[in-house]
Amino acid sequence: MAPRGDARHPGLSRLLRMNLAAVYARASVRVKASFRESSWVIGETIFPFLAMSAFVLVYRGLKAPREYEGFVVLGGAMIAYWNNVIWGMASQFFWEREQGQLQLYLITPVSRMSILLGMALGGIAMTTTRAAAILIGGTLLFHVDFPLSRALPAFGLFVLTLGAAYSLGMILSSLFLLWGREVWHTATILQEPIYLFSGFYFPVSAMGLGIAIAASILPVTLGLDGIRQVFYGPAAHGLLPLPWIPPIQIALTAFFLYIAGVMLRYMENLGKQEGRLTVRGD
Amino acid sequence: MRRLAQVLRASAWLGWQVEANWAEPILFIVYAVAKPLATTLILYFMVKVVSQGSATSETFRYIFIGNTFFIYVTEVLIGISWTVFRDREDYETLKYIYVAPLRLLPYLTGRAFTRVGTATIGVLVALAFGRIVLGLSVGVPGTNWFLVAAAVLLGLMGVLWLGIILAGTSLVVARHSMNLNEGLSGLFFLLCGAVFPLDVLPHWARAISLALPFTYWLELLRRMLTGRGFAAILAGMSDGALWGVIALSTVALCALALVWFSWCERTARERGLIDWKTNY
Repeated sequence: MAPRGDARHPGLSRLLRMNLAAVYARASVRVKASFRESSWVIGETIFPFLAMSAFVLVYRGLKAPREYEGFVVLGGAMIAYWNNVIWGMASQFFWEREQGQLQLYLITPVSRMSILLGMALGGIAMTTTRAAAILIGGTLLFHVDFPLSRALPAFGLFVLTLGAAYSLGMILSSLFLLWGREVWHTATILQEPIYLFSGFYFPVSAMGLGIAIAASILPVTLGLDGIRQVFYGPAAHGLLPLPWIPPIQIALTAFFLYIAGVMLRYMENLGKQEGRLTVRGD
Repeated sequence: MRRLAQVLRASAWLGWQVEANWAEPILFIVYAVAKPLATTLILYFMVKVVSQGSATSETFRYIFIGNTFFIYVTEVLIGISWTVFRDREDYETLKYIYVAPLRLLPYLTGRAFTRVGTATIGVLVALAFGRIVLGLSVGVPGTNWFLVAAAVLLGLMGVLWLGIILAGTSLVVARHSMNLNEGLSGLFFLLCGAVFPLDVLPHWARAISLALPFTYWLELLRRMLTGRGFAAILAGMSDGALWGVIALSTVALCALALVWFSWCERTARERGLIDWKTNY
């Protein structure tokens, strides 16, 4: 029997320290990288803001009540996170494989989930600067009103939503692990169609109860719906009663995390058997 | 000319293989049309939710036409410059263009044709979806479909030349500048009034909008397909004036693209950027 705490069988506290270090290391890389290239900051802040502005102006052109413009600004901020889930979480192992770094992750004696958690936390930190710019810009430029007295419960729901959304990103990450060029197209298809089904620009209930309930498997759908209800009450045309949403988000987070763990192990083993974990230029 | 046609055909075919051979044709078409259909439906539900179920079909028709034809701008503008980055850095094949008996500009133009093709699929499917599923009438009794096709082609030429300008820029900038090209497309989406009447733009933004050829292009297409204009600030312009602005701007973009691309290509070769790898 190997002694406690050696390199092959580290003790629990050492294992925990290693995994926490991996979380920190992966998160800090992402945070530093996000400010290293100024064109990224512009690309991820100003340009999504432009797209959001176009949709605000659609409502303005339709002479819609002002809270609809608020729906779009909130949706625009949430899109920043969803895009980070897609391009910064789900596709990340694909990029790492293309750059020849995936095998380095697999060599390390830490859980893949720790690496993904680091990516998620770093991604959230990075994206928050973008989302904040969109929210502040939308508030100042379009005079959108967010009642500050309701900001705390909205923030709580927002945190739960991010937990569930990034857990879903971990599942997608395992799926994308072995794919080639289809990653691009799948990531693309997870943008506009998800903007539609999650009701980023309009209350999701407008699509009808059946479609909206089905779309609620996406955490951003219910999260956004709940946040709008917190800020705007009945004018948000909410899908589900607000008290239902936090427990659903917590349940989704737990479910997605479990599935992500299983999927990661399965896909990694499959990749090893098929020799696809080091394939590049696919 | 025959040689040029050969290069265009070969590079368009190559572009099609790069874009489409990762999936079965049906699956590829699903992917190609998902984005335009989703955006159409987002706008549909936005109009519907505001008008409480009695969506003003006339208003939505203007939005629908602008959004649908803007697919060309997004696809082609981003597509051409993306080709440069992919060939240069991912496939590392851009340098081989110089050891083959062809020039870079016709090669990229041919690659752009693939994007035009996929965008056309998106536009046609979106138009059919609007007609069949959403019950929108596309065209009025007086619509001259040959003129519509000519207007689409003329606007498309302008988009192509602007794409060449961006492709030239891509030759001398790092890969991560790609999001600036994508942003330009977003900027046009906002400023051309693709999905809202220009009249809701602030005054300063309207002035920029009136300097963009796609503003006039979308207005002309809306007039042809609905029989009426959309932007009150363009109401004083006749259809002929719109044609004139689009034609002149296309010629200007062509001239600018040829000069700019030539300079960028020469600079990229002088600085050794043709096989540059900037992906990090």
